[in-house]
Amino acid sequence: MKINFRLLAMNLSNFSPRNYVLLVATFFCFIQNSQQLYEDQIGKFDWKHNFVGKVKYAYFDGTAGDRIIVATEQNVLAALSVRTGDILWRKIMEKDIRGTIQYLHVTQSDKNELTRPGEYNDYDIITISGTSPAMVRGWNPNTGNIIWEWSLTPNTQANAENSLWIFRDLVLYHIVPVYGSHIEVTGYYAKTGHHVKSTTTRVSAPWIVQGKCIVVAPYFVCTIGSQLVAVNLLAENSVLVAKDFDRDISGSDLKLLKGVEATVIVGNEAYTLHSDKITLRSNVDSFNFNLKINNENILIAGSLQEDKSIRISSKYLDSGEAYNDLYLVAHFPETLGSPQILDVQCKSKGSGPVACRMLLSSDNAAVILMQQGKIKWVREEALASIVAVEMIDLPLADFEGSIQSELQNKDGDIFGTLLRRISNQILQLRNMILTVIGLDGHRPDQTNDVDLTRDAFGLHKMIVAVTEHGKIFGIDNISGKYYWIKHLPNFKGFNEHQSLKIFVQRTSRHFPNPPMCVVIGRNKINGNGILYQFNPISGQPINGGITTLNYKIQQMTLLHDTESDFLKAILILDHENKVHVIPEKAAKLAHKMYLYTADKTRGTLSGYLVEYSNQQLDAVPIWEVHLGGAGNIQKITNIAMKSAIEHVHSQGRVLNDRSVLYKYINPNLVAVATQGPDSIHKYVLNVHLIDVVSGAVVTSLTHRRAKGPIHMVHSENWLVYSYYNDKVRRTEMTSVELYEGKSQANSTIWSSLDAPQLPMVEKQSYIIPANVVSLKETITEKGITNKHVLIGLSTGGVIEMPWVLLDPRRPILLPNQGREEGVIPYIPELPLPSENVINYNQSVAAIKDFFVTRIAPSKSFDLLKEDFDYILITVVLAALTISSCVAKHLSSRKTIKQAWK
Amino acid sequence: MFLKLYLPLMFIASISASSLEYDGWLHINLYHAIDMDLPNKFTPRGNVTISSLNSGSFTIVQEPLSNNERIKIKKLAENDKVYRLKAVVSGQDGEEATFLTYSRACALAASQLTDSLWVSLNHLGHVLGVSQSISGTGNCRDQSFNHQVDALEEFNTDVFVKHTELAPIPDTASFIQKMEREREARERGDVKDNRGFLAKYWMYLLPVVVLVLLSGASNPEGGGGGAR
Repeated sequence: MKINFRLLAMNLSNFSPRNYVLLVATFFCFIQNSQQLYEDQIGKFDWKHNFVGKVKYAYFDGTAGDRIIVATEQNVLAALSVRTGDILWRKIMEKDIRGTIQYLHVTQSDKNELTRPGEYNDYDIITISGTSPAMVRGWNPNTGNIIWEWSLTPNTQANAENSLWIFRDLVLYHIVPVYGSHIEVTGYYAKTGHHVKSTTTRVSAPWIVQGKCIVVAPYFVCTIGSQLVAVNLLAENSVLVAKDFDRDISGSDLKLLKGVEATVIVGNEAYTLHSDKITLRSNVDSFNFNLKINNENILIAGSLQEDKSIRISSKYLDSGEAYNDLYLVAHFPETLGSPQILDVQCKSKGSGPVACRMLLSSDNAAVILMQQGKIKWVREEALASIVAVEMIDLPLADFEGSIQSELQNKDGDIFGTLLRRISNQILQLRNMILTVIGLDGHRPDQTNDVDLTRDAFGLHKMIVAVTEHGKIFGIDNISGKYYWIKHLPNFKGFNEHQSLKIFVQRTSRHFPNPPMCVVIGRNKINGNGILYQFNPISGQPINGGITTLNYKIQQMTLLHDTESDFLKAILILDHENKVHVIPEKAAKLAHKMYLYTADKTRGTLSGYLVEYSNQQLDAVPIWEVHLGGAGNIQKITNIAMKSAIEHVHSQGRVLNDRSVLYKYINPNLVAVATQGPDSIHKYVLNVHLIDVVSGAVVTSLTHRRAKGPIHMVHSENWLVYSYYNDKVRRTEMTSVELYEGKSQANSTIWSSLDAPQLPMVEKQSYIIPANVVSLKETITEKGITNKHVLIGLSTGGVIEMPWVLLDPRRPILLPNQGREEGVIPYIPELPLPSENVINYNQSVAAIKDFFVTRIAPSKSFDLLKEDFDYILITVVLAALTISSCVAKHLSSRKTIKQAWK
Repeated sequence: MFLKLYLPLMFIASISASSLEYDGWLHINLYHAIDMDLPNKFTPRGNVTISSLNSGSFTIVQEPLSNNERIKIKKLAENDKVYRLKAVVSGQDGEEATFLTYSRACALAASQLTDSLWVSLNHLGHVLGVSQSISGTGNCRDQSFNHQVDALEEFNTDVFVKHTELAPIPDTASFIQKMEREREARERGDVKDNRGFLAKYWMYLLPVVVLVLLSGASNPEGGGGGAR
């Protein structure tokens, strides 16, 4: 009977903290005292990669030669070095929609000849972020300092979202199209925000349709039926210009041809807009750019080739004749996706050939600089939006693996076994000698160790990071090096903000079977399920890699039992509540598995039992709860499950009278937070603990006048969550612990159907004097170490909070008889000492940097310091041994001499 | 049996811990699916009226099972199927809500149709879920299923109400009071010296240690005796 099967699935689960601080940290009982890092230990166990996010707008900085100004989808304005791609400076705007960068203007050198290189004026960089209000800011390109700022609150909120901007001759024009009616144009002096004219110009344009129009400064262009229609917004008496086509073009893409002239691309033809006509220029390729070289209008066009290369050619925009100075074919790895040209900078030295730099960005967020016909650098900005992470143990070294296989191999004749044993032992001996000789080469903190084998403490791991854009990375956790990159162009996340999922189907422990991971998502083409199976160490696909399914996925999990190949099969519940197992031969292992699904808006959780009979799988609905209340006013906002790999080492807690309070350790327990309005208390936040196998509501807590954002961490027998208390206007954290009582119902095996219905609930709330943006617990292999909670703060710090400080059993009044061990008296405010910030001054900003470090919640144990001097100890030992031999010899000679006297 | 003793005790604790501002009542119609061949056919089992949500007092009406029904339940138990229960809840506001719960049929048969229904309420007294539980399930495999069909005569059901508890708020008041009391105690000067032994008497211990060390050093034979 598998009633105690743990359920790992969820539809709604991953509101994970990874979304923000790229989590990380954890692990085994090791390395030095993690807190209070010494100055010389900086960068020893940790590394950090900084990101800017997927680039939206980018320009080569005209005023200084070696800088690229980028504005990104993660609301970041940054300057990148042209030579290396490093971030020179970075400014992070407001979060979410308030800081969305709408417009970026960077002064180009040819328009700005009065300024000497290195100098700047007030108009060098202008950004506009947000819509209501829109923040207009001017920046210094050298330092990234803000120089001026003003805000614009639009009159009509509804139209403001469609706002467009043009910057021309020190004036910023705000364009608000009111679809089906007119276009409003207002001019502001960029530096001060003063109106240029006292009134807003209204350009009557009843023909404009949302989604069919773009702004190509200074024109507003639409594809209407079989016509391309444009109007000059900045002219005094704007005239409509149109071009007739012999076909309906409203369905084809209307794109801006970036560069110097007001040119648009319709289909695969470029058209230039003039005040009185629209002229056809020439054909374009899959990505294009227009620039002036020696006063000639050049069209740069490129496309990807079959053989993993990129071909970029150029021609005169007017005549369509080939321009021979600029032609290149370069190697272009598949993992970079399909590119677009962001900006091109060309230099011609006298009459010689032109040299160009090209900045490309791809659909999977890579930023690429091409120079001299090849890729100079690549920034993998996809890592700024990681949605799922797994840390994989490295496989055993070959000789250890062969020992393992020998131990597993029971058959074979006696001589074969003997031979194998001897050869193994020779290998082992050789390895031992190598280790002794090359002591330095095998220290655990060796960072440039290239062979991917497990170290003595299992600290060296492979981080498999899945990003929003369907790009997967295999990253070394010690050096931060990318071992492999894979791009899955057809993958997208699930609906309701559910990202791509990753599961570990087989760990590295089952030598010689390779470890195996699977990424599951939705097919971009038809929304059906799609999965990619691969080896997380090498990044190579397994079983052909991609499997497309012919059904939509509602829920998925891994099976617990495996067949002889140790592979955990995937269990999928499709949109028609049918059950599938991949691979199909493992179907019978899914018998008596439990699954549950959650409906966020209705607040419903439903449980299913999977039954295998007559070669067929069925999902029987077995329970249903409604957390929405009457009228479904409470919406599910967070679901927190326990980690699937968690082990709880200690079953209970010793009280001061030496009796034991047993923990209620229910692996099937899931915490669900619901939020909704309330007639008396304004908002109410409820937290329910639900057993997703039995469907029982174990306990419910209600917070009055509290609201999100909620962050939860659920582990062992406790739950910690943070929320905003609107009544007292501060962030608070509540911790809840569950105990079975002084005796255990069943100490050997957990069954949700047999569990006590009313466990003891201990709860306490604390004030946290900071803004919490993510929560995660530390996890160790056997669960022996103390638990710490890692708290990501809005300041960019990650605080390590020992569980004892969050313990709900902290007594307010000291009891008269002896205190409980390890329980400290209650103080309402949680301390946030700066020594506990594990990323010291390496802030992980709101834009998702990647910081990896090690922490040791229970301190390290029998490890040598990382700066332990192996040579010195060897020399000292050798010297002592030699000197003792010498001394012994000398002393025996002396005694003999004395005896002869 | 542990659970049987334990549950009622905890139940009293739970209702005393929190209650609703406005008491209410609930009416629950129960339907069960016991036919193995028609797994989605729910037939009436009985009904429960909880007259007071705060006190949890209830009345339950369940007809004895017909012979046919008993055989069906026995069959479910023998095949290790789930016994599914549908609860249609109607309350004061007249809205109906349907909940689903289950138990293992063999456990239900082994307990001779003794079960408990847990009705969980939210902060406004609306039902979150209805959950059936059977105490002392044990391992179904160990039990023989040759129960008398007669033993499956009538459901013996207990109904419990689980309330949502009010979450704690940071207890600043009692902390300030405690600090205040400590301050007063200090001012009165009757603060108990609870420093450790060493912290308290180090000035007496230090000379003794120094003496011992000095005597050890003046006696080199004793100190270096173990060298060879």
